[in-house]
Amino acid sequence: MKLSLNWIKDYVKLPEDMDLTRLAYDLTMSTVEVEGAENLAERFDKIVVGEIKEVLPHPNADKLRVCKVDVGDGEIKDIVCGGSNLEAGMKVVVACPGAMVRWHGEGEPVEIKNAKLRGVASFGMICASVEVGLCDLFPAAEEHEIMDVTAFDAPAGTPLADALGLNDIILEIDNKSMTNRPDLWGHYGIAREIAALYDLPLVQFEQYVPTTSESYDVRIKDSDRCPRYIGAKIEGLSVKPSPFEMQSRIWRVGMRPINALVDITNYVMLATGQPTHVFDSDHIIDHIEVRRAEEGEKLQLLNDKELALSSDDLVIADAEGAVALAGVMGGAKDSVLPDTDSVILEVANFESRGVRRTALRYDNRTEASSRYEKAVDPERCDQALSLAMQLFAELYPEMSVTAFNDLYVKKLERAEIDVELEWLDRRLGKRIPQEIVAKKLGTMGYEVTFTDTAMHIVVPSWRSTGDVSIKADIMEEVARMYGYENFEATTITTSFDGAINQLGVDLVRRIKEYLAFRCDMQEIFTYPWMTDEFVNALMPSTDGILALATPPSPNEKYIRSSLLPNICKAIVKNEHNFDEFDIFEEAQIFLDSDYTSEYAGEKLPCQRKHLGCAFVGSSDKLSELFRRAKGVIGSMPRYTHMESFTFEKNEKPYWADDTVWLNICLNGKKIGDLALLSKKAALACGIKVLSAVLVELDMDALIPLKSRTNRFARMPEFPMNDYDLSFLVDSAVKWDDIYACVMSKKNELLQDVIFVDEYKGKQIPAGKKSLTIRLIIGSGEKTLTGNEIDAVASAVIKRLAKNCGADVRTV
Amino acid sequence: MREKLDALLKEGAGKIEAAQSEAELQEVKGSLLGKQGSITELLKEIPKLDVALRPEMGKAVNNAKNLLTEQIEGRREALKLKASEVSPDFDCTIPGIEPKAGGLHPITQMCYDLNDAFRSMGFEVFSGPEITSEYYAFDNLNFPPNHPARESMDTYWLEGHDSGEANDKLCLRPHLTGDSVRYMQTHKPPYRFVYPGRVYRNETTDARHERAFFQYEALIVDKDFTYTAGKVMIKSILSKVFGQDVPVRMRAGFFPFVEPGFEIDMGCLVCGGKGCSVCKHVGWIEIMPGGTPHPNVLRAAGLDPDEYTGFYVNIGLDRLVMMRYGVDDVRLFHSTDLRFLKQFH
Repeated sequence: MKLSLNWIKDYVKLPEDMDLTRLAYDLTMSTVEVEGAENLAERFDKIVVGEIKEVLPHPNADKLRVCKVDVGDGEIKDIVCGGSNLEAGMKVVVACPGAMVRWHGEGEPVEIKNAKLRGVASFGMICASVEVGLCDLFPAAEEHEIMDVTAFDAPAGTPLADALGLNDIILEIDNKSMTNRPDLWGHYGIAREIAALYDLPLVQFEQYVPTTSESYDVRIKDSDRCPRYIGAKIEGLSVKPSPFEMQSRIWRVGMRPINALVDITNYVMLATGQPTHVFDSDHIIDHIEVRRAEEGEKLQLLNDKELALSSDDLVIADAEGAVALAGVMGGAKDSVLPDTDSVILEVANFESRGVRRTALRYDNRTEASSRYEKAVDPERCDQALSLAMQLFAELYPEMSVTAFNDLYVKKLERAEIDVELEWLDRRLGKRIPQEIVAKKLGTMGYEVTFTDTAMHIVVPSWRSTGDVSIKADIMEEVARMYGYENFEATTITTSFDGAINQLGVDLVRRIKEYLAFRCDMQEIFTYPWMTDEFVNALMPSTDGILALATPPSPNEKYIRSSLLPNICKAIVKNEHNFDEFDIFEEAQIFLDSDYTSEYAGEKLPCQRKHLGCAFVGSSDKLSELFRRAKGVIGSMPRYTHMESFTFEKNEKPYWADDTVWLNICLNGKKIGDLALLSKKAALACGIKVLSAVLVELDMDALIPLKSRTNRFARMPEFPMNDYDLSFLVDSAVKWDDIYACVMSKKNELLQDVIFVDEYKGKQIPAGKKSLTIRLIIGSGEKTLTGNEIDAVASAVIKRLAKNCGADVRTV
Repeated sequence: MREKLDALLKEGAGKIEAAQSEAELQEVKGSLLGKQGSITELLKEIPKLDVALRPEMGKAVNNAKNLLTEQIEGRREALKLKASEVSPDFDCTIPGIEPKAGGLHPITQMCYDLNDAFRSMGFEVFSGPEITSEYYAFDNLNFPPNHPARESMDTYWLEGHDSGEANDKLCLRPHLTGDSVRYMQTHKPPYRFVYPGRVYRNETTDARHERAFFQYEALIVDKDFTYTAGKVMIKSILSKVFGQDVPVRMRAGFFPFVEPGFEIDMGCLVCGGKGCSVCKHVGWIEIMPGGTPHPNVLRAAGLDPDEYTGFYVNIGLDRLVMMRYGVDDVRLFHSTDLRFLKQFH
């Protein structure tokens, strides 16, 4: 919202030396966010009134003229101009060298320089209204018409801003910062805040006293939706432009002047925050009634939108039908028309939520509806009426009010609050003198009475529509007007009763840091909704999956029951840029089951924290890819301090390759899977080149250790010996079998056996594979001799040959 | 022969001194004392000499041999102590081998930084469910029944759970504040906790708006907590996270679940408060809303608002991370694009 400082000064007398930066800062700190303050005159820097003394033809161009112009500096300037309405004696707008104008009102402003136009030197430029941004106030009848300011009593050389009274500061307020303050949506409301901030007197509106005893027929059919309606029939009017200052003010704060009748209503709204409307009284048949619309009732709005109304809409109607959408917009045929000479002035109060619903229903939010939907108080009709009547009288001295009715059917109850002074002191952290509290609250319209221990507060009507209702609100009013910055910082005291100990929280962090920093994986975030093609690729059906009522797009309806669909989407996204990458995500999954109530009064579906991983690489190195994944997950319990889990083969995941899959089990219960994404699923996902081993793990099932459990082991005193064996075995022989065979016979010199390498290829016969293993041989008592070591190895070789069919090539 | 020996000694000493590495020195040694070395060759010539001269020359050559050996060993010691035994051609501008390239999401990093800061002040870390009932999303938090935020254009309601009583209506949580009530209902006051997490809004996305984004809320509830203590808390946290003293100001703001409510600004770190394009030339950047929990929220948590009060802050994590790194499009955080994510290691 834009505010004119000059307009505010109508209501509160600011000191002459008021520092504007300070004002903007104070308003921002205490009331609303001031996003900017523009000195309007700066837009018209070096733009002055010039008087044309003579208009001469241009020697080299038919459409141009050379004007002899007095710009007030004592000499007559030559200015070349193509204006169609130039004549001697006319006062025009001259942009002197250095001024910024928009050529033909288009593009960025450019700086005016002395120039030669078709061979004739020209001092600056005579401007059209569009070129100085004033076309709303000085509409041009045709394209080449230049702006005529002859009517303004300003001698040549007067700065344009002075001549037009545009020396004003325009404050730009962030609307979001005052959605809860219906009282601030007009100049008067902001003036009231400024008055309270600086302890200045605030101008009061006089109560309008009707001069006619004739009652205008107003009927309110829904008093909940329309607590008050004032209708006044005013005659002796005409459609004409409003005075320049009124137009200028309306324009300065961002609206367009239309004609005097409409301008009065807009001016009143901008001043008081109370929307008003005028109907052409010749078109209102018999009376005005405020009622719900008939379902499907037709109404054509001022902006020519044709509506079929809902019975939830409130309309203003006459004897024949709807004439306006209450609080939103007038109808096309009954509002001000070119020949209007009498009007029905509407000053009414409509219930906020109804107005909002209607405005949203037709996507038709207006200046009026956006004010009503903040909950304007019905008492404010008085201010608006008073100002409107004053303006009608000023603009139409011959007018008369011939009928009047103020139907106030649902009186506003002002809120009353008791505040204990001790409580206030305690919460504020300091005592603010009673007279300051009384003065600040008083200026803002609160009625305050003190007792020894408390104050009783009657909240003003304009804050009683939901804004202020409890003592915390009063505390806020006092604190912000006293100045938030005038409270000394207080330190935070603490009572110590133990360290923070959150095993689960710590485990999640350790796992993520393990994956990222030790396992070289990148954490990703994905949305909770899944794309249908990935759901279809990875899941047998959508049973048990929750969906959004209004999804971000039609194919993103389901929310995740697994992290894998979105992880596969991430693989597709990165496949073009990387040959090999490992990613993980930790997030909640949702299932349409288990509606439990952990918290009072609510039943929520199953929600669990999952970990999803993808190990992605070339299809040529599947074994390596699988081992990478298994290594990361297998070592996780040890590195992250949780109870260890096992790999088992019980239940193949739907999306997994037929052979390469494992279940992750903890205490006999499946808590996740580790498997190669099947070719079929990968193709359905659109993963074209790379292979992926996926992991999904239920993190809520993991059990953190209370402390570290691994024990110190003494370092061997005598050397341990590595003894590598390579041999051929059948492809089908598993590592688990080899390990079991090697370790089966207890030999105290054989400490361990380690997998080194597996190879299948050209040199290896079909159906076989070459395995390299490493025996760790050593004693706790002595250094072994070569013969002793060889003896251990020979025994292992024999066992492998016998039990696993191993053909040992190299010793 | 004597002359030859003297010349060899001189030449040998020069070569030894010129050797720049042990390998070179070894070569020199070979050329002098090796099987075909010049001194060895000389020794071989001694038997050809006149008998009378033999002992003297033999002694001289042997002395020379010893002298050179001594010089070589001396040089070897000297070379060992020298700074480099590598060829001067070695290229120190050659790129290093990158360490492993895994990493946490930049938002997780910021979240952990904040967790560390808050935990150092005795805060617990809490997280609630992402699907919530309307009751915990709005009713508990003093949102009036027809508050615009409840409309489907702002909130993701679940299909089949989007009508009925507040307890039956389910949505993806539109903010974290509901979780504060969950925590308070299940713990005993006084409270100090943070509850970071992802929240969801049904809105059109652009460079500054996302449907899924991260918030970080912190709440203190205690007896007699003044709002200025809240300012101390915020200042401590921001100063720790940004590693320097950060000016903080609190100004009037409105949110249904706080009373009074504040907009909290931090001094712009880019320009030091002088005004720049980042702070829209005001020297301050709006960083979070905050305020005293509304009495109705405390009541929902089972507390007496006359006895207890406190302070909330709600930090927009995405915004903070964008500021930390100068990221200009919030949608990048959910893009899963590794080229983006790998920049924050």
